[in-house]
Amino acid sequence: MSRSRAKPRFEFVDVSLRDAHQCLWATRMTTAMMTPILGAIDRVGYAVINILGGAVFDVCVRYLQENPYERVGLLCERLETPCDALTRGQSLYTFELFPDDVVALNAEVLARLGVSVFTVYDALNDNRNIESSVIAGRAAGMKINGWMTYTLSPVHTDAYYVERTRELAKLGCDILCIKDPTGLLTPERGATLFPAVVRAAGRIPVQLHSHCQSGLAPRVYEVAMKSGLTHGYTASEPLANGASLPATEDIAARARRLGFATSVNDELLKEIAGYFTCLAERESKPLGKVATYDRALYEHQIPGGMISNLRSQLTVMKLEHRLPEILEEAARVRHDLGYPIVVSPFAQYIVTQATINVVQGERYKTIPDEIRKYALGYYGRLAAEPAAEFLERACIKPSEMVKGRPGEHIDPWLPRLRKQLGPAATDEELLLAAFYEEKLLEPLKKPPPAYEYSTTPLHELIRYLGSRSDIEYARIRFAGTEMTVTA
Amino acid sequence: MRARASQEKSAATLTYEDVLRIVEIVKASQFSEFRLKVGEIEVHLRRKDGATAPAAPDAVASAAPPAPPAPDAQSEIPEGSQAVRAPMVGTFYRAPEPGARPFVEVGDEVDADTTVGIIEVMKLMNSIPAGVHGVVRAVLVENARYVEYGQPLVLIDPRP
Repeated sequence: MSRSRAKPRFEFVDVSLRDAHQCLWATRMTTAMMTPILGAIDRVGYAVINILGGAVFDVCVRYLQENPYERVGLLCERLETPCDALTRGQSLYTFELFPDDVVALNAEVLARLGVSVFTVYDALNDNRNIESSVIAGRAAGMKINGWMTYTLSPVHTDAYYVERTRELAKLGCDILCIKDPTGLLTPERGATLFPAVVRAAGRIPVQLHSHCQSGLAPRVYEVAMKSGLTHGYTASEPLANGASLPATEDIAARARRLGFATSVNDELLKEIAGYFTCLAERESKPLGKVATYDRALYEHQIPGGMISNLRSQLTVMKLEHRLPEILEEAARVRHDLGYPIVVSPFAQYIVTQATINVVQGERYKTIPDEIRKYALGYYGRLAAEPAAEFLERACIKPSEMVKGRPGEHIDPWLPRLRKQLGPAATDEELLLAAFYEEKLLEPLKKPPPAYEYSTTPLHELIRYLGSRSDIEYARIRFAGTEMTVTA
Repeated sequence: MRARASQEKSAATLTYEDVLRIVEIVKASQFSEFRLKVGEIEVHLRRKDGATAPAAPDAVASAAPPAPPAPDAQSEIPEGSQAVRAPMVGTFYRAPEPGARPFVEVGDEVDADTTVGIIEVMKLMNSIPAGVHGVVRAVLVENARYVEYGQPLVLIDPRP
C-alpha cells in the first residue's frame, strides 16, 4: 500500500502574553496574571511563544513596576516551548537609537535568560538598523527572525518587499515574517505579495503577523496558508480580534478546513480562553471584538487610539471641527515625508505636522526637530524622497544628510555605565540604566509576589468573588460543588 | 476573606463556562440579598450595607490635558518690543534638558534663528526661533508650562 502524501502543515506563534494585551489591555498584563495558565499554554502545541516586545518592556518598568528581565527569565524557565523576544533593532525597546555595545549586551542577556528566537525589525524597514542585533543574536546562539513591516503606499510594492526579503536572507535570518501592524493587508494583496516573498525567501520559512482592525485578517491568513507561509501569529480567543491578532481557534479551524495539519490542541485552547475571560472579568479588562470592515482605515491609516487622542487635544484648542481637515492633511504630509509607515513614532510625526500645518494656515512653517532629523536620514533610510516643498522649508542641505548605518554614529555607552554603576553591577542593571533614569528603576527592586503556577475554574471563581468588594457573603452550589465566601 | 469549597467526587467538575455563567448572575444582581436557583446552579449573595455594585469596566479616562491658562494674546506688548509667539499648543521648555542652562536669558543678544525655547507636542520637540535679531527683554512663560496657540513666549527688542 502506498503511503499517502503527508498533509501540509500550518503552525502557530502565540501572542497572548505580548501583542494581544498590548493591543487590548494597554499592555497591562502582569506576570502574576500569566503564571496560573502558563502550563496549559505550554502544552497547546504552539511552535513558539512570543513573550517580549518594546511596549511590554517599557510598561513593565514604567507602570507595572516589574523588572522585565526577571519576567523573561521566569517565563523561559517555566515554558518548554521556544520563547521569542522582539526588539526594534537599534532602538531596542524605545524609539531612540542605542549604540552597538548596548544592542549586543541586550541580545546576550536575553539568550542567557532562555530566549531562543530573537525577532528584530526596523520601523523604516532599513535593515542596516537590525545588522548589529542579528550579529549579536546569532553570536549568542539564538535563531534570528527578521520582520518586514507592511504598509500601503505607491512605493511599498511587491518588488519593494522582495528587495527587503533578499536583504533579510542575506543578513542570515533563519525565519522571515511579514508584519502588518494596522491590519491593512487584504486577501487580494496577499495573493500577489505572499507568493513573491515566499519565492524570494527560498528555503527560509515565512510567517504572517497581522492585526484585525479592518476585519479582513482571518481571510488574509487563509491566503497566507495557500501561498506557502508556514506560521501565523495568533492569540487566545478572548484576547484576539479588534486591534489584536486573529484567534488561534479561528485560524486553526480555517487551516483544517483547507486541508492543513496543525499541532494545536483544542481542549487546551478552550481552557486558556476560559481562564483569560475570567481574568478579564476580575480585572475589568475588555475582550477583543470582531471588527467590521472599515474603509476609512485605508485612507489615512492613522490608528484609532491616536485619532481619539488628537480629538481630545483639538477639543482643548477649540479646533475639534477641523479634525477631518487634519486627517486629509495627514495623508498629504505622509506623501511629503516619503511615505513613512504609520506606526510609532512616525504616526506621531505625521499627525503633529498635519495639525501644525492646518492650525498655522501655512504648510511647514514650523517643522518639529525630530521630523527634520528623520528627513536627514538620522533614523535610517526613507522609503521615498521627501517632497521638494518640504525639503525647502526644512532648509535641508545635501551636506547635512546622514550617511552610513545610523548605529555607526553613536559612541559606546557601556564603559561609562560600568564606571557609574561599579564593578558589581549585573548586565541587566547596566542595560536598565542605559534605558531609564534611576528613579524609575528604584521600585523594581521590591521582591516579586508569590506566583501561582496552576489554577482551576473553581479557584478562579473564588478569586473573582474575592475581588468584588461589595459582596460580604456568597454561597454557590453547582452540581456536586458547594462553596461559601465570606468577607 | 474566607473561602470554603467542597467538591463531591462523583459530581461534574465546574468548568470555565459555568464560572462565567455565575459571574454574569453576580454582575446582574443589584440587591443586598440575592438567592437564585436555576437548574443545577444555586447562588446566594449578600451585599455589604449600602454597597452598590462596582461601576462597569473602568472606561479609559480620557487623556485630555488640563485646560490651558487663559490666553494672553491680548496682553500688552510694550512699544519697541516684538513677541515670539507659540506656533502651537504644547508644553514650553526654556532649556534643552532638565537642569541645563536656558536657551536665552534677559539681556541676551539673539539672531533670527537663535532658539529661544522648545514646545513639546505629542512628545515631539519643536525649536522656537527668535525670528528677529535683537535683545531679549523678557521671558513671559515659566519652564514646563502649557501654552496656548499664539501666546507670547518671549519679548525681544529688535536691533538693526
